[in-house]
Amino acid sequence: MKGLAPLFLGIFGTFAFSWIGLTVIPTWQIGNLNPESDEEGTDIYPRPQSGMFERGARVYAANGCVYCHSQQVRADYAADDIERKWGNRRSAPRDYIFDRPVFLGKMRMGQDLANIGARAPAPEESPSPAGAASPAGQGAAVSSPPPPAVAAPSPAAGSPPPKAPTSPAPAAAASPSPATSPAATSSAPSPAPPGQRTGVASPSPVQMANATPGGSSPVAPTAQTPGAPWPIQTAGLPPMYSAAWHHVHLYAPRSINLDSNMPAYRFLYEKRRIAGERSADALQLSGSDAPPEGWEVVPSYDAKCLVAYLMGLNQSHPLKEAKLVGGASAPAASPAPPAQGASPSPAAAGSPVPAKK
Amino acid sequence: MNATGIPLKEPAVSAAAGDMEQLERAYIDASTRVPVLMFYTSAIAWLILGTLLAGFVSWKLHSPDLLGDISFLTWGRVRPAHMNVMVYGWASMAGMGTAIWLMARLCRTTLRFPLLLVAGAAFWNVGVLIGVGAILLGDSTGFQWLEFPRYVSVILFIAYTLMASWAVLMFRHRRGDQIYITQWYLLGAFLWFPWLYAAGQLMLFVVPVQGVLQSAVGWWYANNLLFLWFGAIALGTAYYMIPKVIGRPVYSYHLATIGFWSYALFSSWTGMTRLVDGPFPAWMITASIAATILTMIPVATVGLNHHMTMQGYFPLMRYSPTLRFTVFGAMSYTVFSVIGVLISLRSIASYVNFTEASIAYSHLGLYAFFTMVIFGSMYYIVPRLVGREWRYASLIKLHFWASAYGVGLMTLMLLAGGFLQGGNLENPALPFNESIETALPYLRGRSLAGILLTVSHFIFAYHFGLMLLGLGRTSTVPTFLNPVEAETSGGH
Repeated sequence: MKGLAPLFLGIFGTFAFSWIGLTVIPTWQIGNLNPESDEEGTDIYPRPQSGMFERGARVYAANGCVYCHSQQVRADYAADDIERKWGNRRSAPRDYIFDRPVFLGKMRMGQDLANIGARAPAPEESPSPAGAASPAGQGAAVSSPPPPAVAAPSPAAGSPPPKAPTSPAPAAAASPSPATSPAATSSAPSPAPPGQRTGVASPSPVQMANATPGGSSPVAPTAQTPGAPWPIQTAGLPPMYSAAWHHVHLYAPRSINLDSNMPAYRFLYEKRRIAGERSADALQLSGSDAPPEGWEVVPSYDAKCLVAYLMGLNQSHPLKEAKLVGGASAPAASPAPPAQGASPSPAAAGSPVPAKK
Repeated sequence: MNATGIPLKEPAVSAAAGDMEQLERAYIDASTRVPVLMFYTSAIAWLILGTLLAGFVSWKLHSPDLLGDISFLTWGRVRPAHMNVMVYGWASMAGMGTAIWLMARLCRTTLRFPLLLVAGAAFWNVGVLIGVGAILLGDSTGFQWLEFPRYVSVILFIAYTLMASWAVLMFRHRRGDQIYITQWYLLGAFLWFPWLYAAGQLMLFVVPVQGVLQSAVGWWYANNLLFLWFGAIALGTAYYMIPKVIGRPVYSYHLATIGFWSYALFSSWTGMTRLVDGPFPAWMITASIAATILTMIPVATVGLNHHMTMQGYFPLMRYSPTLRFTVFGAMSYTVFSVIGVLISLRSIASYVNFTEASIAYSHLGLYAFFTMVIFGSMYYIVPRLVGREWRYASLIKLHFWASAYGVGLMTLMLLAGGFLQGGNLENPALPFNESIETALPYLRGRSLAGILLTVSHFIFAYHFGLMLLGLGRTSTVPTFLNPVEAETSGGH
């Protein structure tokens, strides 16, 4: 080849072609999407997320969660993501307009997380033990935007696990334990909140509402979650995909699923001596992961933000461009989980089986 | 090209210095000595660090509790650290070292202002060091291959400007009209990289694009870095080394032209194949799949060209380390591209898109293709810089076989594991965990392959260290892998 000019022009030309084609034109096409709303303009989706969510996203990036977890549900005609109950519709560009950075992911060494927040037990229906048993009911979560109320992880709250009723607290003004723990463990639907009110660390009403299911569930839902996709829920753990569950899972993944190869993120948690009162957000750990007597494991602020982030991942809201599979008008349909082994049967009950592939 | 009549390669400095061309080459080589050796030394140091990190990554994947409680050694931080050390530390520095040397030779001009390059290399090292430290301390951006925080990219950019300026200087002072094939690729690489890097940084961090487009830009960047930066350097190097070593001109200039332009045109469009079935307009992904299929054109032309050049000279791979590594790399380019087409087709991608198969693809490109070609070029260039020949043929052989078997085993394991993992992933009757369980034995196999690669890199680093300390052989005959018969080596 002779002459520099054609060479230079060609080198720039080919590159410009690719740059314009794959980044500039798509930006022009889908780079300025707005949230969608219904006629009255009330039901807006997606919405900007809380500050804890944003910070949680940074924790997610810093610790490389994206190298094992994707956050995208592929369409039912292309793949089996929806059948795996990772979502009730495919992901659309609009789902991500507030995400920065975006974690679409390229690897599924772990589950897809696009709807992990939607799979959490919905707070308002959880007081009844049965309600907590439908973790996969994406439909139920539609009406429950997951902002701060849920985000503040107040998992185990006032109910110490049954095996440690002797919380020391010699100096504490009102030592709660013996009275409250039986109440909590007996899975009474609404245990009297006053009973747990103790001294300084009195939880707010909101926390209470959340605390109750967290405390009552360990015993109850075990039997009622047969349709749970993964893992099989074991006794002594908070309801699957609840904030408390995420904390336990992050701290000790193999206490929940023996075969998990997820790293433990213990450095996001603090093991400390219980000073007076067991703190409201201490983790419900069992077995060898449990701290020694008189100690507790509490999440750092980063851990709380990470869980707030996970709880906020929710693409179950319908979008015009991405129809719900089976057309289930979400809030009405009761997603009665299929009652057979570990394999989830196609879609929610009653919905027409989508044509696959 | 090579008029000396020596079948393998000419000695570093001809004892009978009557040959003006030889003398000129020696002068040019001497002028590149300090910067190129600095690039190589840093690159090999990064290679060793990256290898150790890789072992960690691989091992922790099937033994997750290994040193898991230390925040900066958690898997999710070590993995990007490994990738960035390899991409920006090892591959970029080694590639630039080779490119500088090749440019000086092909422009037939001595390297001016070598201190500029030394300063650039130093800056680059500092940048990578800070970047990797930042990743380990939890300051990663979360974009694959662009994990370095923004302040590091500024350092890298300054370093790059320092290093790129010599290219302009060298071109201004080049002798002769003809621009050789290698120079097209190298010029391309050196012009594409800054644009690519700037575009990536601007569209992700300075004026971030909305939502999923960040992923599109991220993969557009990563794939183009693989093709237009590493791939271009490696192809250019192969176009120099193969004809040089066997002493025979490239088979067809015309084929090379087709190969180069189709490579530039099509491979730069392949980025979206990493996002098949993702939340994007379908045309973006389809265009990338089509471009990936069209990359078979450069693959065919480049492969054919190399093959025809080598025709009848393949037995020389028995002797020349450079040829052996380079031809292995050039052949891997074909394998890499074919696998790339395979895993980007929609019907297959829906199975393997989220599995270890994509890791296999990256390693085929960055290791089996790029790194092997660069190893080959180092075996050619380093003796010319230090004035010594490689000390032990046995170590070179060990290095080659450990690398070849290592990367072969690794990609086989990852591909097989990936396909099985993907098959189970797409079978909703099986619990999710089953797909991981299926891949685990293959991941252990990959760790074994990693041990082989570790051995190979330590051997190479040791051998390179000997050369650097002047402990190579003093001889005018290059180190052959196997003793050359009397009639070929008798001439000098």
